[in-house]
Amino acid sequence: MLFLREPMRVALALITSMTSLGAVYGLMGVHFIAAFQVVIYVGAVMVFMVYVIMLLEVKEAPGSRRFSKVVLPGVVVGVLLLAALGAGMLRGTGSTGTLPGEGRQAFSLVEFSSAFLTQYWLVFELTTVFLVGAIVAALAVVNVSRRRQG
Amino acid sequence: MTHPLALIALLPLLGFLLNGTFATALGGKKFNNTAAALIACAMPIAAFALTIQAFFTLQANGYAPIVEPLYRWALVGEHTFDITFYFDRLSAVMTLIVTGVGSVIHIYSTGYMHDDKSFGRFMAYLNLFLFFMLLLVLGRSMLLLFVGWEGVGLASYLLIGFWFDDLANAVAGRKAFITNRIGDAGFLIGMFLLYGAFGTLDMDTINAAFAVGPVTVVSASLVGFFLFVGATGKSAQIPLYVWLPDAMAGPTPVSALIHAATMVTAGVYLVARMSGVYMQAPDTSQLMAVVGVLTAFMAATIALVQTDIKKVLAYSTVSQLGFMFVALGVGAYGVAIFHVVTHAFFKACLFLGAGSVIHALGGEQDIRKMGGLRKHIPITFWTFLVSTAAIAGIPGLAGFFSKDEILWFAFASEKGGAPWLWAMGALTAFMTAFYMTRLLWLTFFGASRMSHEVEHHVHESPLSMTGVLGVLAVLSAVGGYIGIPHFLEPQIPLPPVVEALEHYEHTLLYVSIAIAFAGVGLAVFMYSGPASRAAGVAKAAGPLRVVLEGKYYVDELYAAVIVRPLAWVSEHVFFKVGDKLLIDGTLNGLAGLAQRSAGWLGRAQTGSLQFYALLVMMGMVGALLWSWRHV
Amino acid sequence: MDQSQLLLAVAAGLFTIGLLGVVIRRNALVMLMCMELMLNGVNLSLVTFSQQRGDAAGAVMVFLTFVVATAEVALAIPIVLLLVKHARSLDVDRYSELKG
Repeated sequence: MLFLREPMRVALALITSMTSLGAVYGLMGVHFIAAFQVVIYVGAVMVFMVYVIMLLEVKEAPGSRRFSKVVLPGVVVGVLLLAALGAGMLRGTGSTGTLPGEGRQAFSLVEFSSAFLTQYWLVFELTTVFLVGAIVAALAVVNVSRRRQG
Repeated sequence: MTHPLALIALLPLLGFLLNGTFATALGGKKFNNTAAALIACAMPIAAFALTIQAFFTLQANGYAPIVEPLYRWALVGEHTFDITFYFDRLSAVMTLIVTGVGSVIHIYSTGYMHDDKSFGRFMAYLNLFLFFMLLLVLGRSMLLLFVGWEGVGLASYLLIGFWFDDLANAVAGRKAFITNRIGDAGFLIGMFLLYGAFGTLDMDTINAAFAVGPVTVVSASLVGFFLFVGATGKSAQIPLYVWLPDAMAGPTPVSALIHAATMVTAGVYLVARMSGVYMQAPDTSQLMAVVGVLTAFMAATIALVQTDIKKVLAYSTVSQLGFMFVALGVGAYGVAIFHVVTHAFFKACLFLGAGSVIHALGGEQDIRKMGGLRKHIPITFWTFLVSTAAIAGIPGLAGFFSKDEILWFAFASEKGGAPWLWAMGALTAFMTAFYMTRLLWLTFFGASRMSHEVEHHVHESPLSMTGVLGVLAVLSAVGGYIGIPHFLEPQIPLPPVVEALEHYEHTLLYVSIAIAFAGVGLAVFMYSGPASRAAGVAKAAGPLRVVLEGKYYVDELYAAVIVRPLAWVSEHVFFKVGDKLLIDGTLNGLAGLAQRSAGWLGRAQTGSLQFYALLVMMGMVGALLWSWRHV
Repeated sequence: MDQSQLLLAVAAGLFTIGLLGVVIRRNALVMLMCMELMLNGVNLSLVTFSQQRGDAAGAVMVFLTFVVATAEVALAIPIVLLLVKHARSLDVDRYSELKG
């Protein structure tokens, strides 16, 4: 994904990644999250991005650079970051629990939804607010563009 | 009345504030001249009355000093600095002179400065001067004395340069102030030494500490020397006398009050007050006597050839002050104060008389353009005559008594009297008699050398001026009988006299009388005859006369040796290097540094989002690494 | 390394690659997609930890992250559209009016 030239190809790569991630979730046992992943991310977000890529009809001028000016420092720091994260992970406290498939019950939907609606009901409200906010903001953006046009 | 002494000093201050605010352009000149005059004269007269009352209180208490603390000024750690007033015999004498002579000079000024456009300012400054002078003589601690010391210097500067539209006057005022400041440096060092040794600046305490015997914590000679340096500045001795002749640029009442009667005697007062120190300092006392007699002699020689009426009197003042320091140098402190008193009377009378002459002639000050005035302005003439006789030492009048006592102690005091001191002093007295009679003669006698319009307008001065002249003339005549040295003796003893020389006392008395008459006679002889007599002598003494007229070129010497190098250093070192290069350079450099670094750091604002994201990434790496140091 | 560590390594890798992509690529839309990748990495690590501890909190946060990502994309796209209309290019280097 980092190296593909066309944005459409990048999008397809991303879709592939996300779908595989959904599969990973399923293998881990959290099927509902896997479902969410595919439906929301791939089904909504990535479709939206593909639409936008199509609509924008990006005409990259031939010979335009793929990479930004800070490529080299970026790569260096990226490697450093990876190393730091890896080192942190290795130092970190050993896994306190085991994954399902090694003797534990997987996380079930029932557990999740009951926790979600009772203990973490604040998150539920927050999600509502976020969505409303997103709608309002989208409308506002549309209005702005409409005002600009006419 | 709770604080009588403080009130004596504060009344003139009140006069200054009132007149200074309302009688000047500052307050819109709300008081007219009459009101300003009333306020300005009422204050010193009231102060004089209070002084008399305090004197009687003192007398009733058997002359035990009155100590009146007013206010704790500062408390630094364990050191306290109080404002305390002190009244003993010496203070009584000085305060009476200051308030008494001050009052009459105020009254004189109302007549003399009547037509001046800044009348209110003048009276305000006079009151201010009086306030500081009273602080000086009434203070118990050297600190308060120093405040008064500086204050009278300030008032002197303001009054010398009173007519500041003429730049020369302002320059003269500045010269006076700066020369005084040089002396003040010495004064301050002396004060520091005393404070370091005794932890207090109260003069009576310090005197008592020195009286018990030689003091080891600090050298009396050293302290005495530094205090004397201060006195040379204020009392116009060698080398700091150069300001006094220039100070004649101020109005005549100023010359009378400040540069004859009171301010210039502050140095004498200081030494007399600190007599305890000087009695333990024979070397410094000897130095004082030598400097005094040299100053007296030198100033008298210069006065012989002066042609401005006020300049003659100015050099005469320097000379008489030299006499006072001779007396101080040989331990006769009370006699020096006696001379202060008599000098105040006759010199003030002389100066005010000169003012009256100038007023009568409409501003003329050159005696070569005067003559024959005794018929036109008789009252001025008679008072001038009396005071001239007093200063010349004609027996019976005030100056005779004080000057004779000085010469006697200069000859015979056990504490440094010497025949050569007496001889120079006697010579100076001869010259004094001569040049004062010369002044009198050229001004009032002989044929008139005035121009016609001036002669036409000559008129006697108003009563405010002539009345004062009369009072002072009477005092010049009878003031010698007050017997101040004996009054002060319980507090400031007279020095013992060398026994072998005691029988010379009467001889010297007759010699003094002879000198006085000889001086007068010679002057009358030289100037009453045809003009060629005086001119002949002048030509015969050609080069000497040139030197005298150039005042020994002391001013030029100072300008070349001190002033010009100092100005050069100020310009090239302090201004160019210190100010421009270092201070401005540092500031500009800092500002430039800030600007350049801002410009350099500003390059981080590239406006590129990805650059910022890169920085975020770097920050994240750093934060991660750093947080794991402590895990 | 055991399974959880592997998953966490993958999550870290996803995150880093996403961040790298944001810094490296010039195209605005590609940058957005890399940001989505970052979010996915975070989600994976959250799910892993949640499973390790048996705590539902992690799953709830994952749900929150989904919603946030959706909202973010819904807003980011119009902004990019406006930017493109303004600067007539998808090149982020043209959007440097905040320079200095």
